[in-house]
Amino acid sequence: MAVVSFNATARDISGKGAARSLRRQGQVPAVIYGHGRDPLSLSLNARDLDKMLGHIQAESTVIEVTVGGQTAKTLIREIQRHPIKRQILHVDFQALVAGEKVTVNIPIVLNGIPEGVRLEGGVLDQTLRELEIEVDPSDIPDHAELDVTNMVIGDSLHVSDIKLPASVKVLDDPETSVAVLAAPRAVIEETPAVEAVEGAAEGVAEPEVIGKGPGDEEEGEIGGESPGKKGGESPGKK
Amino acid sequence: MLSPKRVKFRKRFKGRTKGLATRGNEVSFGHYGLKALEPGWVSNRQIEAARVALTRHIKRGGKVWIRIFPDKPITKKPAETRMGKGKGSPEGWVAVVKPGRVMFELEGVTPEIGKKAMALAAAKIGVKSKFVTREEAHTDAS
Repeated sequence: MAVVSFNATARDISGKGAARSLRRQGQVPAVIYGHGRDPLSLSLNARDLDKMLGHIQAESTVIEVTVGGQTAKTLIREIQRHPIKRQILHVDFQALVAGEKVTVNIPIVLNGIPEGVRLEGGVLDQTLRELEIEVDPSDIPDHAELDVTNMVIGDSLHVSDIKLPASVKVLDDPETSVAVLAAPRAVIEETPAVEAVEGAAEGVAEPEVIGKGPGDEEEGEIGGESPGKKGGESPGKK
Repeated sequence: MLSPKRVKFRKRFKGRTKGLATRGNEVSFGHYGLKALEPGWVSNRQIEAARVALTRHIKRGGKVWIRIFPDKPITKKPAETRMGKGKGSPEGWVAVVKPGRVMFELEGVTPEIGKKAMALAAAKIGVKSKFVTREEAHTDAS
């Protein structure tokens, strides 16, 4: 388990405008909360935060946050990012309490290239990418490993196949599949797709209309009749 | 081609697309994605053309996810028709896309093939888009 330190400053301003002005100044608004303590609003240096997140596994690393001389062991619970720029907008820290277990998601790493992919050209589909575990904060594993080298087409591996230390309790259903090795797609599949595009260009199939009220019926009739009438009349008038 | 099976109303207002995609803006199923950079409408024909381009390029390997669905009916008036006399008849379906929306996802191919396939798909879509990867979503903060 990795532990890193990070400095933060308490902030007393809150709200949309304050958060935006902080971001303009190169800061990131954040909050620290936890069991038995009041939430505290923080601001973090955006550049330092980027650097730190670049080399840690954000969800499973214990971060010692220092605010005004006081240090708290925390876990990052949420990182909000801009949908396009990916710039960090806000960070949630959860303070850890000694002796209390925490629920975290750790990434599942698949090791090796499956036999079915190497020899038969199968497609490995990872259906579960994170594993939910309950663990003491000092024992959080960086990731869960799963060896897939012996998989052949049609095989699937489940949560129960992941080996973790005894101190870790897995909360996900043991029968949930993690990786499935599917047969390669048949080449025939392409042909109907092309036909579908060509065929659909001819006309639009109308779907069934549900919950049709009396008002809608009138509207439908107008829409259906008017184009035909107009199309016939207008050239003649001219 | 994608279209709804049942709808509540046959025709819909045009509407205006404001804001960014707050949902569906992460690569959630595959490893690579195609993210919209501007608001717009993506028709079911464009979606189908992009899907065909993706599946043809990745050939036998890989898996494709379509993360948008064309649920908005588009109407059109016939040619040489005077204005008025009600709204035109339904002519097609579009998905309303906001900036940040991941429209397609791909898995099970090399980064080179994935990138090329997404570029081919992007050429079929009427909105500006960019290639994104799952790692990028978690680390890149530029």
